[in-house]
Amino acid sequence: MNTAFAVDSEQVFKQQVVPILQKHCFACHNSEDHKGDFAIQTKAEVLESGYIEPGDPSASHFLAVLKPDGNAPPSMPKDREPLTREEIEVISLWIQSGAYWPEGFLIAQPAVTSTDWWSWKVIELQTVPAAENPFAAHFSIENPIDAFVLAKLMQKGLEPSAPADRRTLIRRVYYDLLGLPPTPADVAEFVSSGDLLAYEKLIDKLLASPAYGERWARHWLDVVKYADTAGYDKDKLRPNAWPYRDYVVNSFNQDKPYARFVREQLAGDQLYSDTPDGILGLGFIAAGPWDFIGHVEVPETKIDGRIARYIDRDEMVTNAMNTFVSTTVQCARCHNHKFDAVTQQHYYNLQSVFAAVDKADRLYGEDPAVTARKKQLEQSIKEATESLVALQQEIEAEAGPAYKTAIAESDKLKSFTALDQRDDAYGFHTAMQQTTADTQWVQIDLGQSEALAEIRLHPCSDDFGGVGNGFGFPVRFRIEVSDDPTFKSSTLIADETQADYPNIGIAYYAATTQVSARYIRLTVNKLYDRNGTPMFAISELEALAADGTNLAQQKRVSSSSSIEAPIRWTRKNLTDGKWPVPVDIVKTQQWASMLVDAEKLVGKANTPARKKRRQELTLKKATMTKELAGLPKGRMVFAAATDFVGMANFKPTMGKPRPIKVLHRGDILQEREETQPGTIPLLNKDGVFSLAEDHTEGDRRVAFAEWVVRKDQPLTWRSIVNRIWLYHFGQGIVTTPNDLGRMGQLPTHPGLLDWLALEFRDHGQSFKHMHRLILLSSTYRQASAHHETNSQIDSGNQYLWRMNRRKLSAEEIRDSILQVSGRLNNQMGGPGYYLFKLEHPQHSPHYEYHLHDPNDVTSHRRSVYRFIVRSQPDPFMTILDCADSSKSTPLRDETLTSIQALALLNNKFNLAMAEHFAEDIRSLQTTEAAQVNRAFVRLTGRIPMESEQSELLAYTQQHGLENLCRLLYNLHEFVFVD
Amino acid sequence: MNQNTGQRKAKPSRREFLWNSGGGLGGIALASMLGTDPLQAVDDSGVLGGVLHHPPKAKRVVQLFMSGAASHIDLWDHKPWLDKHHGEASDFGEKIELFQNGAGPWTKSYFQFQPYGESGKHLSDAVSPLGEVVDEMAFIHNLVGKTGVHSQATYLQATGFQRPGFPGMGSWISYALGSINDNLPTFVVLPDHRGYASNGPKNWGSAFLPASSQGTTIFPQRENPIDNLTARAKFITQEGEQSGLQLLNSINRQYADQRLGDSRLDARIESYELAARMQLSAPEVLDISKEPAHIRKMYGLENEGATYGADINIPEEAEYFGRKCLIARRLLEKGVRFVQIWSGNDNGFPRRNWDSHEDIARDHGPLAKGMAIGTAALIKDLKQRDMLKDTLVLWTTEFGRMPSSQGSKGRDHNPFVFTNWLCGGGIKGGVTAGESDQWGFKPLDRENPTQVYDIHATMLHLLGIDHQRLTVRNNGIDRRLTDVHGHLIDTIIA
Repeated sequence: MNTAFAVDSEQVFKQQVVPILQKHCFACHNSEDHKGDFAIQTKAEVLESGYIEPGDPSASHFLAVLKPDGNAPPSMPKDREPLTREEIEVISLWIQSGAYWPEGFLIAQPAVTSTDWWSWKVIELQTVPAAENPFAAHFSIENPIDAFVLAKLMQKGLEPSAPADRRTLIRRVYYDLLGLPPTPADVAEFVSSGDLLAYEKLIDKLLASPAYGERWARHWLDVVKYADTAGYDKDKLRPNAWPYRDYVVNSFNQDKPYARFVREQLAGDQLYSDTPDGILGLGFIAAGPWDFIGHVEVPETKIDGRIARYIDRDEMVTNAMNTFVSTTVQCARCHNHKFDAVTQQHYYNLQSVFAAVDKADRLYGEDPAVTARKKQLEQSIKEATESLVALQQEIEAEAGPAYKTAIAESDKLKSFTALDQRDDAYGFHTAMQQTTADTQWVQIDLGQSEALAEIRLHPCSDDFGGVGNGFGFPVRFRIEVSDDPTFKSSTLIADETQADYPNIGIAYYAATTQVSARYIRLTVNKLYDRNGTPMFAISELEALAADGTNLAQQKRVSSSSSIEAPIRWTRKNLTDGKWPVPVDIVKTQQWASMLVDAEKLVGKANTPARKKRRQELTLKKATMTKELAGLPKGRMVFAAATDFVGMANFKPTMGKPRPIKVLHRGDILQEREETQPGTIPLLNKDGVFSLAEDHTEGDRRVAFAEWVVRKDQPLTWRSIVNRIWLYHFGQGIVTTPNDLGRMGQLPTHPGLLDWLALEFRDHGQSFKHMHRLILLSSTYRQASAHHETNSQIDSGNQYLWRMNRRKLSAEEIRDSILQVSGRLNNQMGGPGYYLFKLEHPQHSPHYEYHLHDPNDVTSHRRSVYRFIVRSQPDPFMTILDCADSSKSTPLRDETLTSIQALALLNNKFNLAMAEHFAEDIRSLQTTEAAQVNRAFVRLTGRIPMESEQSELLAYTQQHGLENLCRLLYNLHEFVFVD
Repeated sequence: MNQNTGQRKAKPSRREFLWNSGGGLGGIALASMLGTDPLQAVDDSGVLGGVLHHPPKAKRVVQLFMSGAASHIDLWDHKPWLDKHHGEASDFGEKIELFQNGAGPWTKSYFQFQPYGESGKHLSDAVSPLGEVVDEMAFIHNLVGKTGVHSQATYLQATGFQRPGFPGMGSWISYALGSINDNLPTFVVLPDHRGYASNGPKNWGSAFLPASSQGTTIFPQRENPIDNLTARAKFITQEGEQSGLQLLNSINRQYADQRLGDSRLDARIESYELAARMQLSAPEVLDISKEPAHIRKMYGLENEGATYGADINIPEEAEYFGRKCLIARRLLEKGVRFVQIWSGNDNGFPRRNWDSHEDIARDHGPLAKGMAIGTAALIKDLKQRDMLKDTLVLWTTEFGRMPSSQGSKGRDHNPFVFTNWLCGGGIKGGVTAGESDQWGFKPLDRENPTQVYDIHATMLHLLGIDHQRLTVRNNGIDRRLTDVHGHLIDTIIA
């Protein structure tokens, strides 16, 4: 850099000085953050700071802190790379020449503006290399793939390898397409076939197998973070996630055109609402982790609630951008992307695309007539409910000022009614009922007839659904006593069946009496509505004698039903002497009686005409509710949704997008610029979608989906063919499949990548077409053998002078073991099977893998169908490097550890399968020698050599066939594919 | 870099066998970037190849994690002001937003505080056993969190990020430093025996680091304390095991010999030999029955095997936590790099964690005393074995609890300030760095709080690692344990 210049023009200032200030100072010393009470964003800030003396560098503290202090590094920038000598010189010259700063100039957050990057460029039609092939004797040019690969090999001075033998090839292709080994018969047939087209036919056969979709769906599910639980705290089950998994399997088997596959997953509800796949595809948006507590227990009005939803939206944006266009945008949440042309504005514009959707269960594939009727009924029920509310308001208005005063007075005592103490044993809770009109009872046997003075009902307190005190208290009820346990004859002690009794929190309800009886029964004829589920709950029933003794304590309880979920809920709790206590019991009872009095005032205003109207409305509502409940239940999928059954603080947006603003430093409390639905500035100058003023939230997702699948979209087509390639070869043409940006790697074969992209885009976007092309190439069919000269030039085989030997994935190992042991059940689809014992599912589920029985036949299905727990993943599969559903996995890691060795040797699944394997082999072969051969060939596809056979046989004779089978699961030859 | 350039042929390091295809580790590339050559490494197997950024003061780490949010003002952070204003309506001078809206009156500590040691540091009676070692400990009372939601806050303390998908601190350290033993995992986790904390095993997952760096869980009370350590089937015999391994190695050796140039094949054979050694050494290290009586007593194990009542109680908590501490010491002695001990399960029922919304005295009392007995024993024991000087101990939790009451006996979440303490390798004992305000509501100096990044940066520093230089590229971002943050806490470094 030429430093002999004066910084006195706008151009020099902007070109030389501003970039230095942006790079080194801006992050902390901008107008907002003002760290150390110093900012460099505006002229006024710089001049008023006193740290810069225009014209006098030596008096400028600003310059002093940038220079090394003796041997110590410079104090600024704090914890970062210091400025270079040249940069310091520029600053010094700038100050010396008067600290020139154009009037009104504002330094902006540094942003990359250049979109000049290979992956953002148009995909051009490629000329297939046509050089002479000196290796034609063993490496023929089957299609353009070979031409591109050969050209690169020759350029690098590498030689292609000869084709693999047929036995190697069939095993390679089976695992590649199906994730399963060929049977010995398959191998024998292929190896001995004289058909010149045997390989082509084999590929067609495998691509037509449903097992193909099972294998390739797993690749996709790895990328999108699919799991059957939410993750985070509690790690709750997602019982309806699997239809999306099946949708992916089916889409691969149907060879669905990619653009359609993309559209369904982003906006299927808008574009294909008449097909099940239009809804099922939306499972993509919902596939990732979700924080139950942050959504359900914390309202959106609280900061923590907003953070949870913000992180969730980030998860959706990240998933969409990483998956479909292999672009990292998530770093622009806090600051402009440091390397790619993605600003915070672009990032938050993307957030607004997903601003109205949440992750929830939604219907799919329902009969449209049923849907219409449901909507009708829901509307009528809503109207009836509103009329009932209006009627109640009318009555209260007529109840007059006395009523209002009573309510106001009681409110003054409210603070004394708060919960002070609550035992873990909450009380008695009926089972869940169908309607609130169902009758339920609970009764106590005092053991003998006793003289009673007072019956008290203590309500419960439970934070479920945010209710707290008064949880489950009956709405209409009566108390009777009798000496007959069946209550054929009885004495009525209290009757609250004619009008709704107010919810009195944890004040107790008391009824006095003077009769003797052995049995006390509480009958409820209008139940409590627990978030739409009718039930009732009571913490304690006291039966007091005249001297105040509680005769009911520890006495036997029976009831029409009970939820029985100890410790909290069980019949015994009704007489355990424990109930929730308010802050001040005397004031609480006063409060309750005021509430009851107020309710009586209402009773007077409740004229016969109004009662009749209420009855009519109630009946109408009940009839419609019953019809609604009787309509065929649709099937549910866990997917992106705007209209769903909420839970506590988790409520649907009903399609109204949440307002999204740019957040300074990604901080929810520092909202800045407005956003518009949009994306990164590719194919469109600022990335903003042109949408009508009155567009719906669905239009946003459609606009995004259409942008992704544009024919001239350079990222999408490169991204997907790179993914297909890497699953076949174990490495991508770009080795960073989720990032084609400047932080990613460059393509090893850029021409080939673009040729593949156009071939895919313009030939029906068919995965199967691409598989055929790749599998039929000589490149793919090469042997995996070592070659000394080649490996000295390209030890990592990035130019594909041989096939890569690969290790089987976790699923392939498990599925193969099931198959060779004769246990694999090929049933497709449906809810995931458990590889654990599920405990405490209602609250914080425990997934107890160590308690699972490996002989449980329901678990002998392909691994893609197992129930995947996000926070507590299967330890066996995890050790074998299966994907972590907490993050996107574009390519599995392959590790070799002692823990893995122990798992393959000792895991209970392998041990159980070894027994099945041995049993199966014994049933087919009688001699030990034949048994050994049979077992060996199932795992490796070949008969053991004589030397191997004698060793294996000797071992089997000494230690049994089970031990041999178990060892075979540990062979290199089983675990690796050549 | 995690997504490397196709580097495939790596010499297997001595102890762990990592191999990567296109998406795999990339430790080699990273090490070269740092100017170290892993192929020269002889002492260590981590990505740094035994060549650290600067001389370390600590070699190994124990992390004690109190799940559910332990109350700083009832254990460590003495607030005389609350004693004086106990029962008065709370007023924070600002609008506050709490998880369960539990902003009742000011409430003093549920336990008495007393000064201990030469430093005269006040500790509450609930953790009185730690009084004996208080001069070893450095307290940070001005730590701040980012959220009052357990899951996110637990992730933040455990992995440095608020969300899933990032490696635990132990994974980063295992990845960087590798193993110092031949026969045991590098990173061991001792979960609460009653269940996992928020986020379960994802708190010690390897995420985008090699799977070998993830925590290996040990459940001492299970039949198979380490998953798959031994085979349990009726056809298994001792002789069959030995000759089976020989046979397997012989056949695998033939396969490898026919396929030159693939170091994975040799590495895999070696992994089976290592596994066999682990089978021998692991049960021995977990067997505490031969520990002398005075040691067992020190760790609160004198009643071992007793049956306990349904209510939470000190002897039971002491036994379970003490056993984990004693096993931790034995693991550290045998060269395990990182041990993480958890106290507190999920929000199951009845409550067995530190989330005392309802009753601090009932739950914090036994949990804290049990924890303190085991922890004090561990510190003393390490010291008497001359291991404390290079073993770094961190006590942490996801956030603190409010100085106002919830109900009449509990406290709501306080993510605005809480306490961590450290001791051992490279830590200056008997000091307090960073105070909370008079209430224990927020940092005294609100402009300069301590963050988890600072704790992590300081710990990495003491282990010889520059937290800004330990990075792994994942999906286009160079990730590190401390994200883009982290300052050394000079005042606690010896």
